[in-house]
Amino acid sequence: MLTLRKAEDRGHTDLGWLNSYHTFSFGGYHDPQHMGFRALRVLNDDRVAAGKGFGAHGHRDMEILSYVLEGGLAHKDSMGEQHVLGPNEVQAMSAGSGVIHSEFNASTTSPTHFLQIWIIPAVEDLKPSYQQFAYPSAEKRGVLRLIAGPEHTNNPPAAHINQDARMFAAVLPPGVSVDYSIQPARYAWVHCATGAIDVNGVALKQGDGLAVSNESALQLRGSNAGDSELLLFDLA
Amino acid sequence: MSDVNVLIVFYSRYGNAERIALAAGVGAIQARANIRLRRVADLTDAKTIDATPAWRENLDRMNRDYVAPRPADPQWADVIVLATPSDSCAEIESFCAWLPSIAPMTGKLAAPLAPGDEESALRPIYAAAACAGLFVAPAKIGASDPITAAREYGQRVTQIARSLKQAARA
Repeated sequence: MLTLRKAEDRGHTDLGWLNSYHTFSFGGYHDPQHMGFRALRVLNDDRVAAGKGFGAHGHRDMEILSYVLEGGLAHKDSMGEQHVLGPNEVQAMSAGSGVIHSEFNASTTSPTHFLQIWIIPAVEDLKPSYQQFAYPSAEKRGVLRLIAGPEHTNNPPAAHINQDARMFAAVLPPGVSVDYSIQPARYAWVHCATGAIDVNGVALKQGDGLAVSNESALQLRGSNAGDSELLLFDLA
Repeated sequence: MSDVNVLIVFYSRYGNAERIALAAGVGAIQARANIRLRRVADLTDAKTIDATPAWRENLDRMNRDYVAPRPADPQWADVIVLATPSDSCAEIESFCAWLPSIAPMTGKLAAPLAPGDEESALRPIYAAAACAGLFVAPAKIGASDPITAAREYGQRVTQIARSLKQAARA
């Protein structure tokens, strides 16, 4: 079954410096019908003005992934980690037993556009951790590139998350398709980050999401005039 | 959503009180509290601050990372952590004096904290918090590792606040 979550139906927060669309309930946006999908709890589509960001705040028991589409994100946390994240990089923070961090647009002149993803961990009270790595953009061009998953892997490198969930990214040129097999009793969520894609005949535009259940395979095809970027989550 | 709200208020010039405030915040999160972090404004004039480059640099950084306390913050809080530098407590004293004008502080817990738990810095804060109507949870004087001590203090005051709330409901 494929269920479309339209971009325009998402929750919306506009603070001037932050323009954020929430696929699932978040902050002041509460919709009991959209509290997450399987272990995927938050998928926020954030645009942050130059020099602005989220001041120091706390998290607990959450796997937090940041995926930059444009610009840069400056991260600082109570574990002593301080990094800037850009496109074609992956940041995964396991909040575990407790962490405080801040996230700011790394640029003082240009806005940044990023996706923040929260995945509920399988275990609570883990020791907090931080991971960041870069990968060549070609690795996701016409290919579903593993970004994060439960396995510890270096070939190619992917972030380790404490849940039976995998996140893939792909950039699809017009007409280019990629297939994905879904194992029995597993679910998937597709997010169209930029452009437009077609998933098993369902059209998704930028910001649309697709809940997938009781399906054995997906064919994802770029349907935009230019490149389209997507995230695919394989979930238990 | 947690049952205990912890407001971490600190004054810091060079980052020392900020570090123990953050450690207390992590401890509160570890004890499953909701937290808010706020930095109180300097009482010193801008000219004096500008004359000390390290102070100005840290101030610019902290002004970006933190906002000042708002009236809704102490109203929301069950615990107010008050972190002050070991040599300057006027800003935190001033914050405590402001509290009763916001709302009654009855039943709320104050958790004063200073780097190295310097008694000379903490005594005025104990007094200011008590005068504001807060219960005061004393810090551990002379802790050898201030960051660990602050984290454990954050856990402890969260647990105390939870017990107080449970007792009030009983």
